[in-house]
Amino acid sequence: MTKRPGMLDITRRTVLKSGAAAAMLGGAGSFLLARPNGARAATLENVHIEAAAKAKELAQGRSVVLTILEPSGSLGNVKPVADKWTEETGIQVKYVEVPLGEINQKILLEAVSKTGAFDIALPATFGVPDLVESGILVNLDQYAQKYEPEDFQKDALYTIGDYYKGSLYGYQTDGDTYVMFYLKDWLDNPDEQKAFADKNGYELKVPETWQQLDAMMAHFNRPDKGMFGGALYRTQFFIAWEWWVRFHAKGFYPFDDDMNPQINNEAGVAAVEELVAASKHLYPGARTNGLFENFEAFGQGDKFCNIGWGGTQKYLNSEKSKVRGKLAFGPTPGGMVKDSLLQTPYFNWGWNYVVSSVSREPELAYLFTLYACSPTMSTIAVRDPGGYFDPFRGAHYKDSEIAKTYTEEFLVVHEASMRGSIPDLYLKGQGEYFDILRVNLQAADVGEKSPKDAIDETAQAWERITRRMGKRSQLVQWKFLKSIYPETVRDRLV
Amino acid sequence: MSTEAVQRHSGPDARKGWGIPIGLASVLPAQITVLFVVLMPTLIVIWLSLTDWQPTAGVPWYRAEFIWLWNFYDLWYDERFLNSVVRTVFVVAVCVGIELLLALALALLFLDEWPWRKLAVSVIILPMMIVPVDAANAFFMLFNERGPINHLISVVAGRPYEFSWLSHPLWALIPIMLAEIWQWTPLMFLLVLTGFMNLPENQVRAALALGASPPRILFRIMLPLLLPVIVVALLIRSIETFKIFDPVYILTRGGPGAATETISMFMYNGAFVYFRIGYIAAAALIVLVLVVSICMALARPIKRFQG
Repeated sequence: MTKRPGMLDITRRTVLKSGAAAAMLGGAGSFLLARPNGARAATLENVHIEAAAKAKELAQGRSVVLTILEPSGSLGNVKPVADKWTEETGIQVKYVEVPLGEINQKILLEAVSKTGAFDIALPATFGVPDLVESGILVNLDQYAQKYEPEDFQKDALYTIGDYYKGSLYGYQTDGDTYVMFYLKDWLDNPDEQKAFADKNGYELKVPETWQQLDAMMAHFNRPDKGMFGGALYRTQFFIAWEWWVRFHAKGFYPFDDDMNPQINNEAGVAAVEELVAASKHLYPGARTNGLFENFEAFGQGDKFCNIGWGGTQKYLNSEKSKVRGKLAFGPTPGGMVKDSLLQTPYFNWGWNYVVSSVSREPELAYLFTLYACSPTMSTIAVRDPGGYFDPFRGAHYKDSEIAKTYTEEFLVVHEASMRGSIPDLYLKGQGEYFDILRVNLQAADVGEKSPKDAIDETAQAWERITRRMGKRSQLVQWKFLKSIYPETVRDRLV
Repeated sequence: MSTEAVQRHSGPDARKGWGIPIGLASVLPAQITVLFVVLMPTLIVIWLSLTDWQPTAGVPWYRAEFIWLWNFYDLWYDERFLNSVVRTVFVVAVCVGIELLLALALALLFLDEWPWRKLAVSVIILPMMIVPVDAANAFFMLFNERGPINHLISVVAGRPYEFSWLSHPLWALIPIMLAEIWQWTPLMFLLVLTGFMNLPENQVRAALALGASPPRILFRIMLPLLLPVIVVALLIRSIETFKIFDPVYILTRGGPGAATETISMFMYNGAFVYFRIGYIAAAALIVLVLVVSICMALARPIKRFQG
């Protein structure tokens, strides 16, 4: 890293910022309890009614239009709820649809241009820290204190991405945790079970560890017979996510307490080596196929396993899929840490309802997000079989329509994964941290770099990024993020 | 009105309104507009290249922290940037070179009249009418592991062939370059054909009458005469190919690793994934200087020809 003029100023600013944030946090993990309760009339059951009533009162009969910036393909989830909102409040909702992969950039542009083009947006959760730092998101603490029922966030199964440096900036509206898919027929085949047990010394069943999964993929990979070990992703956008789970399952956080990367320790290198070795047992399109091609490929029924989300299951449980009703599910495999199993399911995408800081109606916009994420309304949103939103509240798992779309078996695994999911790297510059990881992992995967070089170079780049972003400021968020890792995982990672 | 005043208003100075010559006054609005459209963004890019501005910094771009030439210094040591520049120059050289050879060959074929000639020209120029993203998508399908290319090789070889073109660090550039060549050879062909058709016929006829062989006529008379057209065609295509983005984005996204990352892809990642606008502005300026230098070098023969 080159020392640049003005760095002293950055440091001074970030110190002040960190100090303020640290003071705001008041202690790791206590932010939820620390938020004042205030007088709240709403309960979890009637929060949508209360939010709509309050919005109607605030609008005072004015002709208000709220504009939502949403990723293409999510309208099926958003519109049914927005229609009900309009019905109950008289407040109109307008939609601006942008391509899936560009929505965070569009929101960032708004931070620069400040046109007031939208009031509410649905950015990908991993990009929220950058959006907060750009100043385009409203800090929702004051509104939450005023309107949010006591158990609103506790009822949601994954809320880590809603907070940045201890403050609320949005509500999660999509349960995007990673889940594993297996071909049940292959797992239950007695001949395969015997052959596998004879060779490996343990039972062929839904694997608990990555080591077991890798052995099973190797066992089933018979390209000459049209059988493949798996359909795990090896394309640039997705490859780092698998590594992230493999690495965490070895018992480590990506950074130490001083924000130094520890991804290039033995566990990190081993995780790359295992990932690269597993590539040999994947189907030929693993390195080129994107999201939907992957669904389609696994839907052919000739690959033992796949990794994916609720959206994957929506496809696999549809008429188009040959594996409908033939799947077994499991959480992402874990690892043996100090002789006991450590599972680190991973929430790597998701969409958050957020409020634009240049909105003319931030309070109404907030009330809409509260309304849309309430148990009753979010259930309506998640029901859409063609949309993105996957279950993320307790109520969703009890809904018969949702169960029909996903199947009961899948929802059991999904709910458990959601409750214990580790977060993405919710830091300013997430895109940069992850992109360099992706590039180096892919280079290792195709043999351009050794696993050690790949991960060493990533760690060096991470150090540079951290310094450029302002180490103290990043440290404040990292400490906060660490403090809200799921309890089942937090104390087992070092 | 005094005589002096009449003289002032009826003489050459009568064209002046508020002291501005009418010629200047009439072009001024257009000039100011052009200045605003061209100069302002350039000035902003120059300013940004001297700052560390990111939209995520929470400050407006005009209040970004001034860091002198550190972006340029960092770029000098940024292996990924340098590799992407070298890779792009390589792609330009290969693609434009092959396009020129193909265009010359095709143009010679189309110099004489033959049945269906016009229809054939229309068919040849079809690829450049296709949206680049669609063309890239077609090549993505063609070069997929189970795509027609591998299938064809399998048929010829007599055994299953599933080479992963798009995920091989060396071979992945081939489909990208083929997509570019397939789509833009027609433009080069049109330019060269037009040039051939406008060559003065006298010299060729004289050479034929003197018994010169066709290759000799081509290399000693036609190609030298065509040189200005060839240089212009090379210039246009080099500038365009330098900006190659669609095939890279669709076929490999710059991967595997950064093995096919061209300068446009590097900038896309820097600006829209990393949000390092200042850094990318500096890279853009370097590329601009590079492209202008290449263009000036290529344009030299035209000046010589004119001189």
